[in-house]
Amino acid sequence: MSAVATRTLLELDDVSVEYALRDRVVRAVDGVSLSLAPGETLGIAGESGSGKSTLANAILQILKPPAQLAGGRVLFEGRDLAAMKPDELRRFRWRHVSLVFQSAMDVLNPVMRVGDQFVDMLKAHEKVKKADALQRAGDLFELVGIDRNRVRAYPHQLSGGMRQRVVIAMALALRPELIVLDEPTTALDVVVQREILQELQQLKDELGFAVIFITHDLSLLVEFSERIAIMYAGEVIELASGETLFRDPRHPYTVGLMRSFPPLTGPLERIAGIPGSPPDMAAPPSGCRFNPRCPHCDPTDARLYARQTDERPRLREIAPGHLVACHLVEERP
Amino acid sequence: MSQIQPLTVDVLEQEALPAELPPLTAPAPKGRLRRAPLPQWVRLLLSNPKSRGGLIVLGAMIVVAVFAPLIATHDPNAFSLIDSRQSPSWNHLFGTTDQGADIFSQVVLGARTSLILGASAALLSTVLATTFGILGAYAGGWIDDVVNFVTNVFLVIPTIPLLVVVSGYLKTRGSLTMILIIGLTLAALEARILRGQALSLRNRDFVQAAKVAGESTPRIIFGEIMPNMVSRIAAGFVLVFYVAILTAAGLEFLGLGDMQHTSWGVTLYWAQVNSTVLQGEWWPFLFPGLALATTVAALVFILAGLDEVSNPRLRVERTHRRAWRSLLLGKGRT
Amino acid sequence: MRWFLRRLLFYVFALWVAVSLNFLLPRLMPGDPVGGVLAHLSPAQIQSNPGIVQTYRDLLGGGKGSLGSEYVKYLGHVATFDFGISTSNYPSKVTEVIGRTLPYSIALVGVAFLLAFVLGIAIGMVAAWRRGGIVDNFVVPAMMSLGAFPAFFTSLVAVYFLGLKAGWFPIQHAYDSAVTPGFNWTFISSAVRHAELPVLIIMFVYAGGWVLNMRTVMINTIAEDYVAMAHAKGLSDTRVMTRYAGRNAILPPLNGFAAQFATAVGGLVFIEFVFSYPGAGLTLQQAALGADYPLTQALLLVFAVTVIVANFIMDIANFVLDPRVRTG
Repeated sequence: MSAVATRTLLELDDVSVEYALRDRVVRAVDGVSLSLAPGETLGIAGESGSGKSTLANAILQILKPPAQLAGGRVLFEGRDLAAMKPDELRRFRWRHVSLVFQSAMDVLNPVMRVGDQFVDMLKAHEKVKKADALQRAGDLFELVGIDRNRVRAYPHQLSGGMRQRVVIAMALALRPELIVLDEPTTALDVVVQREILQELQQLKDELGFAVIFITHDLSLLVEFSERIAIMYAGEVIELASGETLFRDPRHPYTVGLMRSFPPLTGPLERIAGIPGSPPDMAAPPSGCRFNPRCPHCDPTDARLYARQTDERPRLREIAPGHLVACHLVEERP
Repeated sequence: MSQIQPLTVDVLEQEALPAELPPLTAPAPKGRLRRAPLPQWVRLLLSNPKSRGGLIVLGAMIVVAVFAPLIATHDPNAFSLIDSRQSPSWNHLFGTTDQGADIFSQVVLGARTSLILGASAALLSTVLATTFGILGAYAGGWIDDVVNFVTNVFLVIPTIPLLVVVSGYLKTRGSLTMILIIGLTLAALEARILRGQALSLRNRDFVQAAKVAGESTPRIIFGEIMPNMVSRIAAGFVLVFYVAILTAAGLEFLGLGDMQHTSWGVTLYWAQVNSTVLQGEWWPFLFPGLALATTVAALVFILAGLDEVSNPRLRVERTHRRAWRSLLLGKGRT
Repeated sequence: MRWFLRRLLFYVFALWVAVSLNFLLPRLMPGDPVGGVLAHLSPAQIQSNPGIVQTYRDLLGGGKGSLGSEYVKYLGHVATFDFGISTSNYPSKVTEVIGRTLPYSIALVGVAFLLAFVLGIAIGMVAAWRRGGIVDNFVVPAMMSLGAFPAFFTSLVAVYFLGLKAGWFPIQHAYDSAVTPGFNWTFISSAVRHAELPVLIIMFVYAGGWVLNMRTVMINTIAEDYVAMAHAKGLSDTRVMTRYAGRNAILPPLNGFAAQFATAVGGLVFIEFVFSYPGAGLTLQQAALGADYPLTQALLLVFAVTVIVANFIMDIANFVLDPRVRTG
């Protein structure tokens, strides 16, 4: 589709994020490099704890201590966010990149009318009168399918789906070039989930913003994103178009993920899943981080086994636009 | 005075919240009492710098109280106009009062009265609060209603004015009477805390199991619930001890306590009534006041230590500090 | 609305508890309270106030009727604010004495306690926002230790060093003895000047509790998602701290307001005693010492009502500040 980018909107260059705890350092994101073209939808998938939400926070530079950017650069239209002054960064947020949080239920201030939370945000970025700001909030409410009078409501007076729509409306308000969706629909039931995502897709087609869509639900990703990055233990282990990933997943972990949800069409196969649990990020396994769970990590092939347990696999292109970090794929293409 | 009462009550109530208190709720000793060298929480308490410091200061104060007659240099009630209103000197370490009495001796002997009064009132209060608080929480019914009602009374009626009024009604205010009224008043406060904690224990598996097994109510209360609340009861005792010392000294300071005995509050009362401050004499109020403040601070530190020992979140900081210390001083016993 | 009715029911109950306790207390005490009171009046004084003995009996016990009929009579006196004559302020009525002294106490404790709340909340908020910063590491422990000291000891030390030695504050009474009370500038400025040190002391003694409370709640609030969202929205740090984190964190401490206020009212007795401040606290102490039981009985009721009113104000504040209570 539009994977051929003429220019780059966002570039993550070897980004690492660490949690500096009292007695140890946990590297939640380890050397992630990704780039995004204007108007593109990039999906990021992985189990909880794989570092996807941390990555989202790193993109907006809202990491809370003890989390901190430990290395790499986040470039937005060529500008390094880490080098921005606090006030510059403050004005950059939401104006250029907005974020729909994982827990949309809890991201609205419970003691403020939702309309006032719009006004607050608009006033932080532009000189507007309160009445005008509320007017714009009302317009946005209608855009996402809520009665404009609900600007006067408090969050607890809205249903979960409505709150989610409010947050999406808020994310659209300043017409940012990029919206990061961090598991935007996990708390909602399946019907509302799909409804909201379809509306978002429409809005995206109208307004032309780029999207980073983070979720653990691969079926949603395949449906809504152009390219998908699979994360495991803080690293990107496979990156390809949704279609490619669906038809030809190469990393054993991706293969497992693909098998762990029922196919949308065709006969129901046995759901396989992935045995074992994600690694302790304070002491990740050496070599390939997936090796303790990998069905192809077999001591009988001593040479391959040595590589798998000692050497970190690098992300390399095996077909145009299809990148995999796996020794196995490298040696037995 | 009683101003930090709710503060520490808060601390204690929070302590009741976490369901898991690994070091404190050692498995309930089933059946007969087993003789352990020292309960684990006592050892933890001693290893905590705050509570250890508090215990040392309190211990020193107790030693002074025990050997008071040997330490005192003069008759605390001496009346001598020649010696009156002297500032501190080698002969009168803490100076003298308007009546010429030696303040050092008053403070030393006062430690005895104040500590005994505080401890007795706290003991009375703890016994009552433990019995009624836990019984109320476990058995429910009218006992719980009464505990609840008394609690509500104290939510509305401020403790100090109540005690002032009650003391006013009494013709003679001997030590025993003061212990009684302070102990009774504080019991309501303490019962409220212990009741809350017992309530959270009531529905635990081991209590439910004992209930199903058909054990009698007293057996469940004393055999199952109490052993799991020992640290909380201890904390309650320290809290009430601290409030009781303050309250007793406060009432004495107002002239409404047991004014016959030498105590810190009585010395302070005479300092106030004779306007010593206004005449520029700092020693009659500073020394007994400091003795009181030191004792109270020691108890607060013990409480803080108890809280730290039972609150996992605060313990993390402790290991952190230890890590620092071992970094500075090399590997030590941790 | 149901919430309001339930609260109202609590107030009625609390008031009844306070009134009934005041009925029971003198009757439970050993000895003869009425005799004790009358001992402080001369026969001539008793003679010139017909019915005073009966009033005292109705209030304090010792009458011949059953407990039930005495309770009814007592309630009648309470309902008509008839507590007889204050023996220690003869010939003033108890209500007159209270009317004269209570305004000073309310002004003192009201102002000081509100300041303590504001100061404590502000310090607690900043300490949590900049955890491990200067405020957190130095101001918080200092406030906490001030709060742990006995209030009357702190007062004595302050009177000596700040009042007497440094001469910064007047240290006795509520206003200059040369000034006559009234609604004029000389009196008000003198009254304010005399209230400065007691207000400062009450403030610093009670702020410590708020600091600790607010800091703990605020630390938890900062971890909330709506605070992260507020940051992401590009709001300024101050705005996130006050309107988002602080505004939510203030609600739990506010709920402890009334209980704290009750203890502050109690502490007032000591502070007024140290400063010879002619408020209700000092009056209570003097009345208790002088066996002026009609006055102590009425004052205890007044203190209880003050606490109930504080509860009520706290409820209203909660109602205004928390939309979940208002519309939930």
